[in-house]
Amino acid sequence: MSGDKKESNSTLLALTSSALLLPAYQAANAEAPPEFTEVGLRYSNYEEDDTASSKTFGGSSERMEVDVAQFHLLAPVADDWSVALDVSWEDMSGASPWFVGESAEGDSKVVMSGASIEDTRTEVSVTTRYYYDRGSAGFNYSRSDEDDYESDAVAVDASYDSDDGMSTYSASLSASADEIEPTQGVTPTGTLKDEKDIRSAWVGVSRIVSKRAILRFGLSYTYRDGFLTDPYKLNDERPDRRNEWVIQGGYRQFLVTPNAALHVDYRYFNDDWGIDAHTVDIAWHQNVGGRTAIIPFLRYHTQDEADFFANSVDFSERYYADDYRLSAYGAVSLGLKLRHDIGNWRLNLAAERYQSNNEWGIYGGEESPALVDFWRTSIGLDYRFR
Amino acid sequence: MMKLLSLLVLALMLGGCETVAPWERGTLAKPEMQWQTDTMEARLKGQLYNSKEAASGGGGAAGGGCGCN
Repeated sequence: MSGDKKESNSTLLALTSSALLLPAYQAANAEAPPEFTEVGLRYSNYEEDDTASSKTFGGSSERMEVDVAQFHLLAPVADDWSVALDVSWEDMSGASPWFVGESAEGDSKVVMSGASIEDTRTEVSVTTRYYYDRGSAGFNYSRSDEDDYESDAVAVDASYDSDDGMSTYSASLSASADEIEPTQGVTPTGTLKDEKDIRSAWVGVSRIVSKRAILRFGLSYTYRDGFLTDPYKLNDERPDRRNEWVIQGGYRQFLVTPNAALHVDYRYFNDDWGIDAHTVDIAWHQNVGGRTAIIPFLRYHTQDEADFFANSVDFSERYYADDYRLSAYGAVSLGLKLRHDIGNWRLNLAAERYQSNNEWGIYGGEESPALVDFWRTSIGLDYRFR
Repeated sequence: MMKLLSLLVLALMLGGCETVAPWERGTLAKPEMQWQTDTMEARLKGQLYNSKEAASGGGGAAGGGCGCN
């Protein structure tokens, strides 16, 4: 990048620095390496509500709780490169739905796995990025390791600005190889070891709409091939292939008088298992003074059920599942984030409540008795070396 | 409906934009105007939602899976 160009694009540095924090396969508008090294630590707790006694056999049951620790590092390397490292550790415990049965009254009720699940997950993700005059290109490697599951994934991405800088075109490709070796509890899973592969492609374009607004549009295709069944569910037999398509849009609008930014994101999802889903994310980034931000956010998700979903599965069918995640429902998530800067330090706090209900969805379908509600809280510190 | 939505978005992107010179993009460069403003938060939420819902993806090519319960 020439010196003149660097100078004329100085106002874009902040624009690009945030994009640099993204995993390689999500990057867009990344035109300049980060100015400073940044590190961050975050602790989060995720806790699902107990399943109501009216919806289970054997009374109320505790569900999953997960503690998550995250580390993030982003550093400039030489003039035109950066490297990012993201590590997360998860400690999971509790119970998850095992299968759905029918009571004497004809109601669908869930049988939980019992408080038998203990697992840890470690994920390491490394991204290197090269910056050229009108964009950047990144390479990402990620490895996720659990007691019963391993995943290795690679991704490449590139972005390119139009002549006038009003548009940025981006594309990414990824591939992963996953291996599952289910833990055999009191009741064996019936699966000793299996594999699946994931291939995915994404293209996107972002466009400056005005001095205070920017829009983006993206399309992605993902192909999953292999063992896609959940081995920990009793009544679960899924196709070994899945084709997924996503159409995605995003909008950012800055409002001068309240000194705030409106974020709106939408995603349409469709796959060949019969699932349609719409997801809308809205956030209001309210600046308070120069060092504090209050960010309330609202998310709505609704999905249709898979073709082979049923609470009372038909074992004569080739495929069947009573997994609540494949049922029709709507989910609302409401949250609040707080951010406060003190010198080179940044304090981050967040809390989120997620609730799902069959009646909140726009699609008709059987109500699963195992739908999940949860709380999530996070606290973290970031530091910038400058 | 999806075709209509797609056409609408494309029309907005291609035709409904005023030319904004590089020196007029200061507001767009603000951290709160970025597509993602918090990497760790985005990663965490992605993992949570992807493991509890049937739909996933959208912001880029998909990553690897997990044995999520």
